[in-house]
Amino acid sequence: MNELSQTLTQPSVASAGWFDFAKRHRAILASIFVLVFPLVMPFTALAVNILIYGLFAVGFNLLFGYLGLLSFGHAALFGTGAYLCGIAIVHFGWSWYAAIVMGILGGAVMAAGIGALAIRTRGIYFAMVTMALSQCVFYLFYQAVDWTGGENGLRGINVRTIDILGLKLDFINPLTRYYVIAAFVILALFVLSRILASPFGAVIEAVRENEARARASGYDVTRTRLITFILSGAFCGLAGALMALHLSIVPIEILHIETSGMVVMMSLLGGMGTFFGPFVGAAVFLLLENLVSIWTVHWQLIVGAVFVVCVLFFPAGIWGTILKRINK
Amino acid sequence: MAKKTTGSNSISRRRLLTTASAGAVLAASPFRINLLQAQEATIKVGFPVPLTGPYGTEAQDQVRAAEVAIAEFNEGGGLNGRKAELLVRDDKLNPGEAATRTLELIEKEKVNFIVGSLSASVQLAVNNVTKERGIIYNSISQSDEINEIKDFSKYTFHEALTPHLTAGAVGRYAFPKFGKKVAFLTADYAYGHEMVRGFQAAGKTLGVETLADIRHPLGTTDFSALLPRIQALKPDILIINNFGRDQQIALKQATDFGMKKSMKLVAPILLYTGRLAAGAQAFEGVIGGTSYYWGIEDKVASAKAFNDRFRKMHGGKVPSDYGALGYAGVKTLLMGAKAAGTLDTDKVIAAVEALKYDYYKGPEYYRKCDHQAVQSVLIIESKSKPEKGESDVFNVVATEEPSEQNLRTCEALGHKS
Repeated sequence: MNELSQTLTQPSVASAGWFDFAKRHRAILASIFVLVFPLVMPFTALAVNILIYGLFAVGFNLLFGYLGLLSFGHAALFGTGAYLCGIAIVHFGWSWYAAIVMGILGGAVMAAGIGALAIRTRGIYFAMVTMALSQCVFYLFYQAVDWTGGENGLRGINVRTIDILGLKLDFINPLTRYYVIAAFVILALFVLSRILASPFGAVIEAVRENEARARASGYDVTRTRLITFILSGAFCGLAGALMALHLSIVPIEILHIETSGMVVMMSLLGGMGTFFGPFVGAAVFLLLENLVSIWTVHWQLIVGAVFVVCVLFFPAGIWGTILKRINK
Repeated sequence: MAKKTTGSNSISRRRLLTTASAGAVLAASPFRINLLQAQEATIKVGFPVPLTGPYGTEAQDQVRAAEVAIAEFNEGGGLNGRKAELLVRDDKLNPGEAATRTLELIEKEKVNFIVGSLSASVQLAVNNVTKERGIIYNSISQSDEINEIKDFSKYTFHEALTPHLTAGAVGRYAFPKFGKKVAFLTADYAYGHEMVRGFQAAGKTLGVETLADIRHPLGTTDFSALLPRIQALKPDILIINNFGRDQQIALKQATDFGMKKSMKLVAPILLYTGRLAAGAQAFEGVIGGTSYYWGIEDKVASAKAFNDRFRKMHGGKVPSDYGALGYAGVKTLLMGAKAAGTLDTDKVIAAVEALKYDYYKGPEYYRKCDHQAVQSVLIIESKSKPEKGESDVFNVVATEEPSEQNLRTCEALGHKS
């Protein structure tokens, strides 16, 4: 874990060659991958889902992998982004870009609220507090039937055309939809890469590695945590907003505790604390689920067995293990 | 080192641009070709249902019944020789998953129709995706909201009953017979609330008095704290507005508490599969509603034909209530296409609207304003013990004939005219 994160964030002088190149340009490489991705997927809607859950997991990983705080309440941030984006379009008739901004802000504000209450606890207590607060958020949205549709979910987030500087794109066309959403995801990846490469990014990891030493070096640990939580919330809020636009509905299940568990699973499966790992995790998770469930109704058995094998033999996650092998 | 990096950097940027433009070209071109090809191929019916999860048994029966409809259509020569094909997907009882699967069925498989779902929220999600893309969708699960102007579109059909109709029919049968003092035990979510509203709407004209509406959370396993409160109220009728496992446990505990001696137990919907799973004792004497029960085959010729065909294809089994809806949902759209002689969406819609059909339970038709199937509701009573084999579980005690009067009016739903 230690060794892994070092290779990812510090430009190492010793190892040159393409691996070094890949590390420096991780955001560009990730973007290229994102662009060719739908061509190798079984269907485009799945590729969009992987993209969005990948972004969600990347946002979660900022907190979990880089800051070292395990949150069990990230569904609240994802769901708030989705609901606020949807409500902005359905109830206020806002344009799609304003609604996306609303989703990002919603995720960030919700993260600030949850973070302010939870950030002082750590370890298992942090996980419990975030879980409890996200349940509160679930019931808040569940009970506000007039705004959210409650049990039946929010419908009618119908965006047919995307208007960019006079250019009209058909948002119903699956590939167009994919590339519009991919543009936002790529932008987010660049921003995240920039954050991690900045001095602030180094402080985040310093807090994870040794809190006392970071404090002794003059860094405000609590504020670093809170800011990272809010940033994580903004990324998750963006993912949620894109989800609302993609599916044109927001189901109440998006706020369910299972969503929080799923993002933890994706991060672990791909490799926590790696830049691209959460994406790999999301892709493997959703692909397995979709492909096996077409093939047999007993898909849960097979998917479960694969997870057990992954946890036993790749404790650093799929992507983390690959990075380790290459780096040796 | 720095030099090398800049060099490679510009290459990758170029690659980025090439890939992006390749993607843009792809986005524009191949889909029109696929649309043209779809005109020549088989008629594809997408069928998203919750094969896994709590309603798996019912969903698998829906698939079996839909297969019967497809087989009959193909044997009848199809649409000018074009055969139909069923594409089943597991929606996992999750609206997000259902919407994704529906997108797959429309965008990749180019389906002509979508039929399916087994929950209110899932059908509303599927409906939102299909109506945006102009694909005809026939829902086979109960919901009041899907008929309302907010969710309805001309592409939306609803073959299943609505809670308003089911609860109303059961109420109209039960209130005059068993008494006017009513207590409700209700699962605290949309399904339960809609059922209570349905019963109260039917009870208003009959002067029915609601003693209490006791709510319990979904997935309650112990009702022993609630049942004595109901006993103390001494109602004539206890209406149990919950579903699946909740219903089985509630009925079992009410039986154990001896409540059947002092009041009549009524449920809006009695599931064939649920009754088979829970056994005869808990359900004995309970009155409820259903869209279909195989036992009507003695009186209804189309039911006999459907049951026989189902038995032949599926090893002697009889279709369940929700299963039969899968049959009707697929059959009506295919027969509409046949009557229209084309797959042109608007012509198929007009043909389905004009259908007067009797495929499995007696005469039916779709009301023009909200595409709700106007159909009969069967009032059934659970038998104490099966007489003719283990599938003989209910007595049909009454049949409410199809009538638009029992549905919510078009104006109440927000439609014009």
